[in-house]
Amino acid sequence: MTDPVRQPSISRRALLAGVTGLGTWAVLPERGSDAQLRRPAAVLPRAVPNPTASLHLAATDGWVSMPQGAPPISPFWPDPLAPAGADLYVFGFRDVTGLSATEVTAQRGKAQISAPLLGFDQETDIRITLTNLGLSVRPDLTDGHTVHWHGFRNAIPLFDGVPELSISVPIGRDFTYFYRPHDAGTYMYHCHFEDVEHVQMGMTGIVYVRPAQNAGTADVPPGKYVYNDGDGTTRYDREFALMLTEVWAEAHYRDAHIQTTDWTDYKPSFFAFNGRCHPDTLAPNGDPMSAAAGRLRYQPISSLITANAGERVLLRLANLGYQNHTVTADGVDLLVVGKDAALLRGRDGSAEYQVTNTVQIGPGESRDVIFTAPDPGTYLLYDRDLMSLANAGGGRGGQLTEIRVSPPGTLPAQTRANA
Amino acid sequence: MLRLDRGRWKRLSAVPLVAAIVAVLVVPGPSQSTASPPAGLECLTAGDNAFELTATGGYAAMPDGNTIYMWSYAAGGGAFQLPGPTLCVTSGVKVTVVLHNSLPEPTSITFPGQVQVLADGQPAQPETDAAGTLTSLTTTAAANTGSVTYTFTAGPPGTYLYQSGTDAQKQVQMGLYGALVVRPAGHPERENDRADSAFDRDREYLYLLGEIDPDLHLAVERKRAYDFTRYKARYFTINGRSMPDTIAPNHADWLPAQPYGALIHIRPYDPVGNPKPALIRYLNAGSVSYPFHPHGSDEQLIARDGRPAQGPGGQDLSYSNFLIDVAPGQTVDTLMIWKDAEHWDPQGNPIPVPLPSLQDQIVGPGPETWFAENPYLGGEPGELPPGVVQNNQCGEYYHVAHSHALEQATNYGASFGGMMTLIRIDPPAGCPA
Ligand SMILES: [Cu+2]
Ligand SMILES: [Cu+2]
Repeated sequence: MTDPVRQPSISRRALLAGVTGLGTWAVLPERGSDAQLRRPAAVLPRAVPNPTASLHLAATDGWVSMPQGAPPISPFWPDPLAPAGADLYVFGFRDVTGLSATEVTAQRGKAQISAPLLGFDQETDIRITLTNLGLSVRPDLTDGHTVHWHGFRNAIPLFDGVPELSISVPIGRDFTYFYRPHDAGTYMYHCHFEDVEHVQMGMTGIVYVRPAQNAGTADVPPGKYVYNDGDGTTRYDREFALMLTEVWAEAHYRDAHIQTTDWTDYKPSFFAFNGRCHPDTLAPNGDPMSAAAGRLRYQPISSLITANAGERVLLRLANLGYQNHTVTADGVDLLVVGKDAALLRGRDGSAEYQVTNTVQIGPGESRDVIFTAPDPGTYLLYDRDLMSLANAGGGRGGQLTEIRVSPPGTLPAQTRANA
Repeated sequence: MLRLDRGRWKRLSAVPLVAAIVAVLVVPGPSQSTASPPAGLECLTAGDNAFELTATGGYAAMPDGNTIYMWSYAAGGGAFQLPGPTLCVTSGVKVTVVLHNSLPEPTSITFPGQVQVLADGQPAQPETDAAGTLTSLTTTAAANTGSVTYTFTAGPPGTYLYQSGTDAQKQVQMGLYGALVVRPAGHPERENDRADSAFDRDREYLYLLGEIDPDLHLAVERKRAYDFTRYKARYFTINGRSMPDTIAPNHADWLPAQPYGALIHIRPYDPVGNPKPALIRYLNAGSVSYPFHPHGSDEQLIARDGRPAQGPGGQDLSYSNFLIDVAPGQTVDTLMIWKDAEHWDPQGNPIPVPLPSLQDQIVGPGPETWFAENPYLGGEPGELPPGVVQNNQCGEYYHVAHSHALEQATNYGASFGGMMTLIRIDPPAGCPA
């Protein structure tokens, strides 16, 4: 749902721009009947055209690496077909923005998990071009791919990515999706073609929308906020996005080995943050285009959380596994301010932020959680479903990472999420 | 990697969808007692709030051609149906439910959320066998010909399950469940006593979510033992149906025992012409959480288990969701509207990226599409590849709604099925028949 004051969007937007002037931000009063659903929201009045962002993603298959030393799951993992340094077959997205056509084609077989972490400003006109490079290990498969922006209040099925209700992208073709996000918060994106298979295979990522309020309003200074809260209560200093997924090694093996899977037998073997299992979660961000990134080259997104004591840290949590997970941080109070890209406030403005130690996230849900970095030291953040703290059923691992807190003033300001 | 029963899809696409569309267009004013809407919640009401239910066996059809032996509640002396009828009453009235048992073992009904339930005039009680082992959560009707009369005063307005309390693990899985809707006294247009729970009475929907392990049902049918440690659900249902049957109309003649569809059929929000939200009542009669994800619109969670989402001072604590997680035994009520955020229009406000030519897109996959090859709401359908069945009637939009535990969005593992349905959005002017 979008804010009623933006309807009809174009004329209203132009009108507002004319009234308040370019570059002025305002929080407008809500209007509407009792029956009308509303969310508090700031509105960016501005002249057209909208700010724009363009992105080029490629969809393909590839090989990644689960933690070394986990007990084998014979014959499914490590997959004997895997090239050196890898052990698990995946599908995934790849950021190929700015590459030449030849360079894009060369990315076939180089999928990454999780998909690139995407962040956009509210009201930006976003074009995401998806190129389907086909599957290097399964050239017999003619699967299409799509981008589904999960949770987006998408007015139009054409850009929703559900093949049966719109279109999907054939091998060797591309299609440009268009989004104009009106609602800040944490979303996900994933392929919706044969989604039970393609999502499990790794075509999942986080996308988030920054609120217009970041530019400041009459009541709130410019800064970093999760939502258009109107009172600054969702301000943060650093942000870390964690995509929770499970890996059912047997299904990945069957895809690589031209076998079919009964998905109702679902039984995951690995539990990941951002496509990595502990201890790989702690490794720094890598350059997915560089061989120097080593074993985790195709799993470039770190889950290591760093902050200076006293800073407000935002966790953007999203779950595209098929099971519930319960995230906890030892010794740290968690403030849940948003669910499913919506500020936790009733229609009458009543706040329902929750202070908690565990945040349960179901499949397809997102949560925005803020905590204040405690005294310097190392704190653990992990899934309280302890069955998710194993790699291939053995050893410690899974959905676990660290919060490393430094003395105030140690770390410079964060320049991008998960850095 | 798609397995489809083409016969089923053909049957679905031919007459029934058109019939559904025509029928929904001429729908109904506020629903009357025995009206039978082609889509949406169908109430069973009774002047004296006295209902007769018969626990009986029958067969449910799955979209892959499988037929499952089920137990469920039939209305009065009527035929087997899955799930049981939706009983609609008003908060505060005295409700009577007479349970007749034609099953080969004792059975019962529990009414979670209702208090002081009487059975044959006495407080309903758990039952134990001679050894003191619990055999039923509540008073039973004897096997084959027994009956029991439950009475209670309908509790707070909201959505409740009713289900077997006897050998419940097996009997509820066999299908002995239904919905009880309690309406606020004096305000049938509201979900609860709050003014902000008002909804469009022609747009009221019920999603009674469940699951089926066919091995258990076969064991019961053949009177064999079943080991619950081997329990594995293979089918995931809304109102006893799996996609694509979920989008067929209520009382589709090829689903004689599964009378309730789950297609949502709405028009875009308009502050004057269409201001009221639809109401969706979610109930979970299964054994795991069902994370239900509607595309294209979020939903406002306004109540859970018959209690409004509000603070002690009456503050509105409802919240916005694109994922409605319903735990076993729980109910959740949401309000939903769909807004045409951009008002795309080929002349005045064209979509800023092109629709690729047919050879540069995949339509489907599978034998059908719900996309008109025209992205504009109300637009004329474009050309389709040969062999693809077009279900789009008048440039309406479709969004999917499904469990995001994606193995549940399959029919025995096969994609585009299971716990899934569609949200149909007609152009503002409506859809000519
Ligand atoms: Cu895909
Ligand atoms: Cu999704």
